Amino acid sequence: MNPASDPQEEALKPHVYDGIREYDKRLPNWWLWTFYGAMIFSFGYWLHYHRSIPLPSDEERLQSQLNQLAIKAGAEGRAALTDAQLWEMSRDPAIVAAGRETFTTTCVSCHGAKLEGGIGAKLSDTEWVHGGLPTQVAGTVSKGVLAKGMPGWGPVLGARKVGEVVAYVMSHHNEGEPVTLVPSAQPMPPGAAAPAVVAEPAAPAAPAAPPSP
Amino acid sequence: MAQRPTPRAPSLDSVTTINTDGSRLFIHPADVSGWFTLARRIAGVALIAFYAVLPWIQINGNPAAFFDVAHRQFHLVGLTFAPQDLWLVFFLITGLGFSLFLVTALLGRVWCGWACPQTVFLDHVFRRIERWIDGDAVARRALEAAPWTPGKAVRRVLKHTLYLALSLAIAHVFLSYFVSLPGLYQMARQSPLQHWEPFLFVMVLSGLLYFNFAWFREQFCIVLCPYGRLQSALTDENSVVIGYDHQRGEPRGKASDPASGDCIDCRRCIQVCPTGIDIRQGLQLECIACSNCIDACDAIMTKLDRPKGLVRYASFNTFAGKSSRMLRPRILVYAALLALGTVAFAVALTRVRPYTASVLRMPGAPFYEDATAVRNQFMVRILNKRTHPVAFTLTASADALPSLVAAGIEAPFEVPALGEIQRPLIVTVPRADWRGQTALQVRLLPQGGRRPELRVLPLLGPDR
Repeated sequence: MNPASDPQEEALKPHVYDGIREYDKRLPNWWLWTFYGAMIFSFGYWLHYHRSIPLPSDEERLQSQLNQLAIKAGAEGRAALTDAQLWEMSRDPAIVAAGRETFTTTCVSCHGAKLEGGIGAKLSDTEWVHGGLPTQVAGTVSKGVLAKGMPGWGPVLGARKVGEVVAYVMSHHNEGEPVTLVPSAQPMPPGAAAPAVVAEPAAPAAPAAPPSP
Repeated sequence: MAQRPTPRAPSLDSVTTINTDGSRLFIHPADVSGWFTLARRIAGVALIAFYAVLPWIQINGNPAAFFDVAHRQFHLVGLTFAPQDLWLVFFLITGLGFSLFLVTALLGRVWCGWACPQTVFLDHVFRRIERWIDGDAVARRALEAAPWTPGKAVRRVLKHTLYLALSLAIAHVFLSYFVSLPGLYQMARQSPLQHWEPFLFVMVLSGLLYFNFAWFREQFCIVLCPYGRLQSALTDENSVVIGYDHQRGEPRGKASDPASGDCIDCRRCIQVCPTGIDIRQGLQLECIACSNCIDACDAIMTKLDRPKGLVRYASFNTFAGKSSRMLRPRILVYAALLALGTVAFAVALTRVRPYTASVLRMPGAPFYEDATAVRNQFMVRILNKRTHPVAFTLTASADALPSLVAAGIEAPFEVPALGEIQRPLIVTVPRADWRGQTALQVRLLPQGGRRPELRVLPLLGPDR
């Protein structure tokens, strides 16, 4: 039982570095299995990342999930709100109250407690800078007017709150009232492409000229 | 002689638990009893009770340990931390590091034998079950070698069923640290598909725990654990480790032989060792300082009417007959660093506020200028870490600019319990009063607070 008498214990690798020699021992079998497992894994890794075997990338998976959500939203009637729906919301006291809550915490510092404007545009009259249809107002709230300092509130507030706050603003207006498009009261330097920001996918043909009275 | 490549005597040149053909030699440590075994069992049971009870204790309306990853709130002994408090982890980790340095330099791998969850669960739970079902070391070895019979199958199924059940229990207790007990109870009553991520986590963790405690065992300590390796590098000849008193024990011989030392070469210390080493060969990297060999040798010495402590906690210097010093430069340095870190941590904790506030410039242009005014726009974000709503009063001012108008902060900000708000802060200065860039002071006073928190931001604009 003396270890030195066991020939297995004596096995040494032939190399010598700085007088240091190395035993020639078997690796633990369980350790070898982790090694073989890593080899199998690396084959799949190599196929995917170096041979472009089309497994969906994270970006594609995200996009497909977003598409799924959009389809689901459409199926449940939660797609982008229409003018008619926003007008309807603006007559619903509960929604308007919720919108007022958001307005007084988020919008009031620029647009005033009575929507009288100030730093931002006046919202209580029939003159509009970036379009006066409810969907256009919603677009302005969501995307902002960066050139004039209004940030896009869509990502901050979320679609529901944006809808509510637009309903609150439109509760000060009536469907069918005249809409006058005016340039901003505080003209921006030339080239500040304010109109481009307001590009409104929902109502492409509507805004150019007010139809009535 | 033996056709199998086992068994061998423990040697310093190889790991006992790996046979020469690379297969595993499963260790069956013999029963041991004594003062250290008892003390270690008490410590182990207390630790298990502590781990299991922590999620049940409620402090300030939250469990004593609840790392709510889903809501990014971390409750610990009544304090609530937000991700913004992550910098405190620096003190926690360095504190753990210096504690490890200090304890290891003083007492060797005492952590491994007494407090590491691997040893605690293995020695005080899983090995106890194995002992209860399969019998003592001799019986276990015989059962392992025995052919499959219904009796062996029943024992094996029973043992591994219990192992699996306990692994699941440990994994669930661990999960409750992250989802809280009510959350865990709710999940347990739902389909796994409704929360497949925690479900998968628990299943994988249970599988790993089962594999570890049923089979992998000391291989983890010997091959995988970096903590053990690190600790082995931190001891010196003055550290108190478990060792064998060569001067007293050698030469080994029969108890009746007056010429031989106190060691009678009974091999009890090897039989009880959970990693299969011979402590008489000195300190080895496999040693987890479990002190089984101390109790085993003390029992033999007591029977022989010889003094205990042939194997005992002592330093290399003591065993060599030299004087051993506890206070060495490294101990003082480690202790000083630990003390410094602890003080810094204590100070840092007092800096943790029950809320987190930030005032940041809004996206867009840095400032807006027209004929009448210069305008800066900020976004105030307040996170309330309390379980009740708090109102915050804000004021904004700049030296020598009394005409400054801050819009958006006229009314106090009501922040809901554990909630977060964002509010715009629009600062305008009349163009005529503008004298170039200056500092804006925003003061934030929580309801009931006495001293406002000051945030200084650059107020930007044209040069004149």
